[in-house]
Amino acid sequence: MNYKKIRGTWIIFIICCMFLTSCSFVLPEKTAQTGQEITNLKDLPAYSEGAYVELNGNIPQFSEDELTEKSFETYSDLDDLQRCGTAYANIGTDLMPVEERGSIGKVKPTGWHTVKYDQVDGKYLYNRCHLIGYQLSGENANEKNLITGTRYMNVEGMLPFENMVADYVKETGNHVLYRVTPVFEEQNLLAKGVQMEAMSVEDQGEGISYNVFVYNVQPGIYIDYKTGESSLDQTDLEQTDTQAEGEIRGNSRSKIYHCPGQAAYEQMADSKYLVIFKSEQEAENEGYRKAKR
Amino acid sequence: MIVIICIDEKKGMMFHNRRQSQDRILREHIIKECKGRKLYMNPYSYHMFKQNQDASIVVSEHFLEQAGTEAYCFVENQNICHYLDKIQEIVLYQWNRHYPADTYFTVDLSDGNWDLVRTEEFKGSSHEKITREVYKKIR
Repeated sequence: MNYKKIRGTWIIFIICCMFLTSCSFVLPEKTAQTGQEITNLKDLPAYSEGAYVELNGNIPQFSEDELTEKSFETYSDLDDLQRCGTAYANIGTDLMPVEERGSIGKVKPTGWHTVKYDQVDGKYLYNRCHLIGYQLSGENANEKNLITGTRYMNVEGMLPFENMVADYVKETGNHVLYRVTPVFEEQNLLAKGVQMEAMSVEDQGEGISYNVFVYNVQPGIYIDYKTGESSLDQTDLEQTDTQAEGEIRGNSRSKIYHCPGQAAYEQMADSKYLVIFKSEQEAENEGYRKAKR
Repeated sequence: MIVIICIDEKKGMMFHNRRQSQDRILREHIIKECKGRKLYMNPYSYHMFKQNQDASIVVSEHFLEQAGTEAYCFVENQNICHYLDKIQEIVLYQWNRHYPADTYFTVDLSDGNWDLVRTEEFKGSSHEKITREVYKKIR
């Protein structure tokens, strides 16, 4: 193929991509961050955007003989540093709670600090995060099921995945194999995140099937994972100062927003789909997602 | 045609080719909404509706092409952007919960082409509050 043909093919490809991205339907992505398939936790990209990344093509790693229609829940013993290990369950309606959640405040998971920041939803940086959510197994103050997690990881990362499983089990009466593994690096007291795997049993994953890593981060906050100590992220503050000079430009058709300095920011100025926001938070509240580049 | 779509609080529709959620009472609501008129959907969605015997359901992979002007279409994993000219009304059911999503509803209902004519809330079988919004096309 000569140069002109190759160039022509690329132009057609790019036009097709532009057409597709302008449609009112966002196609699934391989991972929230990289677009690459991650098969090993060691290959995890550093957090940059999005609360989670998909692992192993989003396929959980349960074996066929694990698929059982009997509910159960198991929790690993704490290790020498008092850190939690894998929590594993087969969620059924019989495991689900029928009462409101009790107090879990007496449990102090490793890396725990009671610390507040104005920019954190609810102010408190850390939550006691259930590995297996209370709505799934009804476990209250079980120290083998609670880790120190940021508000962001708890609410934006883990909760949506728990909700999906809870609704499915309640509506179908089926079971879901469910495994949550906190990932600690070396002797760190704070997990860098959790791996969440789930697969519906009776329909063999037709209803529920995922395998994701959820980052234990809080945008705008620097965290020392060795101890759980934290501070305002200066890099983020500097970036915010720079960005404060420019508006956020959203595309009402794609529901993607662009910050000053990003690839399509200038181009958006003349778009008929331009929507202006004062902040990224405002754009996200309206259901917009940040452009990757 | 009248399109019926379920979304979460971030306008998500699907994750990993699977619906985010479902609700038995919502399905009954949809059947009532159709008032005996045909309800079109694809085989993926029909799998969830097949126990609703009293519904007049048409199942086809190409239902958005086949549905007529007055027909109802239940859409979960289809791209409606190519059918906006055919759509007179969009009925949005909102779960009021947050689920993972990689497929989103991104029709801009605030672009001046749609009028919100009705909003109501009801309790589902596993959802505390489901919000129903009806948008009619203005032009």
